[in-house]
Amino acid sequence: MSSIRDKVAVIGVGCTKFGELYDMTYEDQVCDAAFQAYADANVDPSEIDAAYVGTYLPHAQGGKAGISLADPLRLYDRPVTRVENFCATGTDAFRNACLAVASGQHDIVLVVGSEKLKDRPGRGIPRIGHQILGKGNTAPGLFALAANRYMHEFKVGRETLAKVAVKNHWNGARNQLAHFQMEITEEQVLKAPMIATPFGLFDCCPTTDGGAAAIVCRADIASRFRDDYVLVKGAALAVATGRPYFDPTFDYVGFRSTQAAAKKAYEQADLSPSDIDFAEVHDCFTWTEISNIEDLGFCEKGKAPGLVEEGRTRVDGDIPINPSGGLKSFGHPIGASGVRMIYECVQQLRGNCGERQVKDAEIGLAHNVGGPGAVSCVVILGQR
Amino acid sequence: MTGLSSIGVYLPRPRLERSKIASAWGSRQPAGERTVANYDEDALTMAVEAAHRCLEDHEALTFDGLFFASTSSPYREKQVASVIATACDLPRAILTADFAGSVRAGLAALTAAVRAVESGSARRILVVASDCRPAPAESALEAIFGDGAVAVVVDAKARLCKFVGAAAVAEEFTFQWRTDTGDSVQVQDARFSISHGYLRDLGEVVERVMNEHGVGADQVAALAVASPDDKAAAQLARAVGIDAKTRLVPSLIPQVGVLGTPDPLLLLASALERAKAGDRIVVGAFGEGAEAVLFEAAAGAGPSACRPSIEKAIARRAPLPSYERYLKYRRILGEDETPVELISNVLEARELQQDVRLYGTRCGSCGMVQYPQARVCLACLKREALEPVKLGKNGRIFTFTVDHLAANLEHPMGMVVIDLEGGGRVYVQTTDCTPEDVQIGAEMTLTFRRLHAGGENYNYFWKARPA
Repeated sequence: MSSIRDKVAVIGVGCTKFGELYDMTYEDQVCDAAFQAYADANVDPSEIDAAYVGTYLPHAQGGKAGISLADPLRLYDRPVTRVENFCATGTDAFRNACLAVASGQHDIVLVVGSEKLKDRPGRGIPRIGHQILGKGNTAPGLFALAANRYMHEFKVGRETLAKVAVKNHWNGARNQLAHFQMEITEEQVLKAPMIATPFGLFDCCPTTDGGAAAIVCRADIASRFRDDYVLVKGAALAVATGRPYFDPTFDYVGFRSTQAAAKKAYEQADLSPSDIDFAEVHDCFTWTEISNIEDLGFCEKGKAPGLVEEGRTRVDGDIPINPSGGLKSFGHPIGASGVRMIYECVQQLRGNCGERQVKDAEIGLAHNVGGPGAVSCVVILGQR
Repeated sequence: MTGLSSIGVYLPRPRLERSKIASAWGSRQPAGERTVANYDEDALTMAVEAAHRCLEDHEALTFDGLFFASTSSPYREKQVASVIATACDLPRAILTADFAGSVRAGLAALTAAVRAVESGSARRILVVASDCRPAPAESALEAIFGDGAVAVVVDAKARLCKFVGAAAVAEEFTFQWRTDTGDSVQVQDARFSISHGYLRDLGEVVERVMNEHGVGADQVAALAVASPDDKAAAQLARAVGIDAKTRLVPSLIPQVGVLGTPDPLLLLASALERAKAGDRIVVGAFGEGAEAVLFEAAAGAGPSACRPSIEKAIARRAPLPSYERYLKYRRILGEDETPVELISNVLEARELQQDVRLYGTRCGSCGMVQYPQARVCLACLKREALEPVKLGKNGRIFTFTVDHLAANLEHPMGMVVIDLEGGGRVYVQTTDCTPEDVQIGAEMTLTFRRLHAGGENYNYFWKARPA
């Protein structure tokens, strides 16, 4: 089996402002992100051979089937596939686009992630699933089960979790596209209203609208579009049980789907965690970032709280995590988030990130986990 | 010989001090407090709780009948006895019936069970009386009523007491009623109703059952008669010549309230806790006539007659913070949770063993117990050796959250992952507890509760309460 390493290049990216985009439709977001990417890649829409669209929650305005991308972009007579894989939707759409190129079937492929979470009544995201089993679960509540067990096992307090939120808000405050562009204090995090113990309001990512796009092509033709293209080093997905709470063997201190996807991605890239210069990881809740750092192999299980306490995950630290502001501050339009991470990785690798630029960023990693723990996707990108 | 071999008592944990009702309405109310069914409880769920206490003494497989008595069944049409039997994992081949109509139904169900066992047409019948009677706001009934359930096992062993005889009268008498469209119990002039209804009819049957079996008033060790208020039972004792001070089973109205159909069974239970073998106990109930039953205490009578003791059942309590909370629990005021879609009866039928009887799967190959029922073993990945296995009801919290976001009538709501004794891990809501009770390692018991409502139907599932 050959690796995907260096076979696919990212030649263009686009991203809308993330936030409460009450004036924009799902289709507006798809259009704005895609046309930014066209311009960034210097690609004419007629050159797109195929497209993938990632949306978690179909909406009256769009998000279901390939037409939710094809119609707003008028991108007809070619394959367009909708991808949905919980919170890994965006990165999995990107991964599928890479596979399509690597297979030799298509030369240039468009990926768009778009999500409208604010065009609906109610709080949070709607619960979909068995009407009786697990009734009462919420997204924060499900991750909180893991957080509480982890905090019990490793004697970690809410103060450590709060430092993740403070750090990601600091980064987001320096990101013009982020949903929340303000710094916060540890005290604010700890005093915020409780959502699902141990998570207060500031331990949770927001519900956000937004769209992001990327254009990938065969690596051997990438220089036709731009010199500073980015190479895909690895792209791996792994699935575990969607009902971890019924698994008597599950220790609830990390996610095997992330561990498996990361292992595969490192193998493809022929890299180890120490080669990664920065990572955009799935910080849907503050604790999730701590677990991700460990599951991605940046340190041993139980050691990430120490890294956070010591400030090593800040932009100027030795393991910068979520220099974009993360889901926490950038926002989390579910299907768009993974593609947004690709956007951020590319901007970091191009050196475009100003005050939150990671120094000497040559290899970046993007990671989504959904379910919680049911599905994870890891993408590793590097400078050409 | 036929009689009672086990008694299970269930009183819901929430209590409402009557002084809170008095201050809400600016009225005078009796002293003490009443039991209040939790927001996720009704006559059905309380009956399941009481029935499970009896199952600690008797294998589910040994029952061939279950009678349910209530004036406040959650269903006007749909048999609840069969739901209780299923939730208790009783065999399919059993006789079930709902007794309803008046608070006399509790004793009527017990007598019917005794007759069935006596005749040899049944071996062991579980009788459950349960009520959560709706009272009009600001009525006298609101303060005097209480909620609860009592289950008894009727069989030929008669471990606690043996049946001696019964007497009944039936006659139209309008005292307390609820019409087919009414949403709360109505009452006619209580003074007349007690003197010319309750005392006349109940007095008649109590005297008749004593006379028919040659038992004089001074030979009755305990008079256990349901009472519409805190005075009528003592009046009745005087009317039939039984010393109210020493022989009348003390009323539980001060701590519990008037339960309805469970009352005669609860008072019988109370009498049996104080009885010694050979004691004669007269039990009575009223309602469009009256019924009295004479029992003789057996060797099992005494302080450990009930599961749990009535004292312990009363001691498991949590006062409601306000009268308004009671109104919310009964869906009289406040915001109800968003209704869910009607659950398909296809899903219900397919998952009955898993969701109601609470069966998981055991892998014959590696031994792992898993829930919900698996198609391929989670541990050894084999498919061939999976077999249904009944899960235990007790376990410890492995992890938890107290969720303020979840759509629920009570906030916040605990969600817990529990490792059950005997294997299997479940993920359920908590109930009957405070956020402080929801901790890693805490011992919990599964309890059958109303999960949600929607499509004009109720859905029941298991939740966890502190053990």
